[in-house]
Amino acid sequence: MPIYDSALARRPLISEFQNLWTYRGLVRLLVNRELTVRYKRSALGVWWTLLNPLFTTAIMWVIFGQIFGGGRFGTTGEEPYVLYLLAGVLMITFFGQALLATGAAITGSASILSKVYVPAEVFSFATSIAGAANFIISVIPLLAVQLIVGTGIPWTIALAPIPIVAMLALVTGLGMLVAAAAVRFYDVVELTRLGVTLLTYATPVFYPISIIPERLLWLVQANPLYSYLEVFRSLMYRGVIPPGWQWAVMIGSALTALAFGVWVFSRSWRSLVSSL
Amino acid sequence: MTSNGEVLIEVRDVGVSYRMAHDRAGTIKEFTFQFLRRQLVTEEFLAVDDVSFEVRRGEVFSLIGPNGAGKTTLMKVVARVLPPSSGRVIVRGVVAPMIALGAGFNPELAGFENIVLFGTLLGRDPDEMRERAPDIAAWAELSSFLDVPIRSYSSGMLARLGFAVAADIDPDVLVVDEVLAVGDEAFQKKSAARMEQMMEGGTAVLLVSHDLNTVEKLSSCVLWIDHGRTRMLGSAQEVVSAYRASV
Repeated sequence: MPIYDSALARRPLISEFQNLWTYRGLVRLLVNRELTVRYKRSALGVWWTLLNPLFTTAIMWVIFGQIFGGGRFGTTGEEPYVLYLLAGVLMITFFGQALLATGAAITGSASILSKVYVPAEVFSFATSIAGAANFIISVIPLLAVQLIVGTGIPWTIALAPIPIVAMLALVTGLGMLVAAAAVRFYDVVELTRLGVTLLTYATPVFYPISIIPERLLWLVQANPLYSYLEVFRSLMYRGVIPPGWQWAVMIGSALTALAFGVWVFSRSWRSLVSSL
Repeated sequence: MTSNGEVLIEVRDVGVSYRMAHDRAGTIKEFTFQFLRRQLVTEEFLAVDDVSFEVRRGEVFSLIGPNGAGKTTLMKVVARVLPPSSGRVIVRGVVAPMIALGAGFNPELAGFENIVLFGTLLGRDPDEMRERAPDIAAWAELSSFLDVPIRSYSSGMLARLGFAVAADIDPDVLVVDEVLAVGDEAFQKKSAARMEQMMEGGTAVLLVSHDLNTVEKLSSCVLWIDHGRTRMLGSAQEVVSAYRASV
């Protein structure tokens, strides 16, 4: 017989992952709901997920690769610029969309959470996982472009799930921080949107790192997102195992963000649920 | 108070406080300005103040009182939706919250998917819900609408669907906000009968209602609260007649 005792405190990081496991059926349903409802009333349906990054990539390819072409800007040396661009756009879109969606997940589910008992973090996890599922669908056009431009699909792609899971952990952690703050102040999500835009430009998505002056290089490399993008690119189409420091930055930042985000969420859970 | 069944709902010295809404800084901008002007006043409002009661298996316990007395807040505390600010709540067993019927319904999804989703939100297994969905729809008299997105349902149909999903649970604890008048007259009779059946089957019932006749008829024990505080706790007859005399 289940027992609810309000005096039993949450155990940060343990309770949350236990709830994720207990409510895995609900998480699966919520992920499915996110994926199906999004496309229910749109003419193109799931094609949006495939076309959106392709469209963004096409625009950037024209602007940076063609209009500014010939300079150092839209070229990436040996590798096809279009792959560099598309892989970067996919990862940074995954980051931005999943972070914003996870940040808005708790306030967006307030009507449910204030009426039926469900551990709030279940909605955070479901939203970020749905973001990852969307990302995985959107990798299909990248594979197609790889075949078209002739780089093919290297064996290192077998390791590509690692940067994807790392990105999922990163956005879950950061998203839960945003979500906890968004319950208190409703402009937090807008503020995060600005931050995401800033990061999109601060991260080498459409420009190669070779255009960065030597003395500022450390600044770009200190941005953890750079490592996520580079590890993903290396594994997806370069067929190269990325350097150890990129793995370290990526995995280190992912675990730190996840642990810190869940911990803060856990500690603020009481006031969070009360003010929904 | 006469029954000696197992205590399923235990509410001990429970208090619930809210921060007053009118001067609450809603955005970071407002917060910063108020902080700089030293205008950050946090006024606490006690919605429930030091309330205790228990409900045993087989008992119907009712909360009565004027609007804003804290009845709904107390229900939310028992339904686990709101953590108490002070005191302790213990609830043993499976809880069927007949409060927000259809919370979590998604207008774009079909009836079938919504039955599964709402049932899972109430803590049931999704696969079990998929099996139960046809029976639930049949009971709600909505079988022919099972594949239709519920945005085209009428409000009566939605209410019936929500009731049917919640009523399909075999609960130990039933939390009911108003004895639900759902749907047309025929369906109201049916839902009332189902509710009575659930109450009889050894559940502990926490009921909030403004219908004093129903409260008097159904309850074994009644708590009258006003401004979040206990005014009177006792047998249904005793408390209801005192409450009647006061209004």
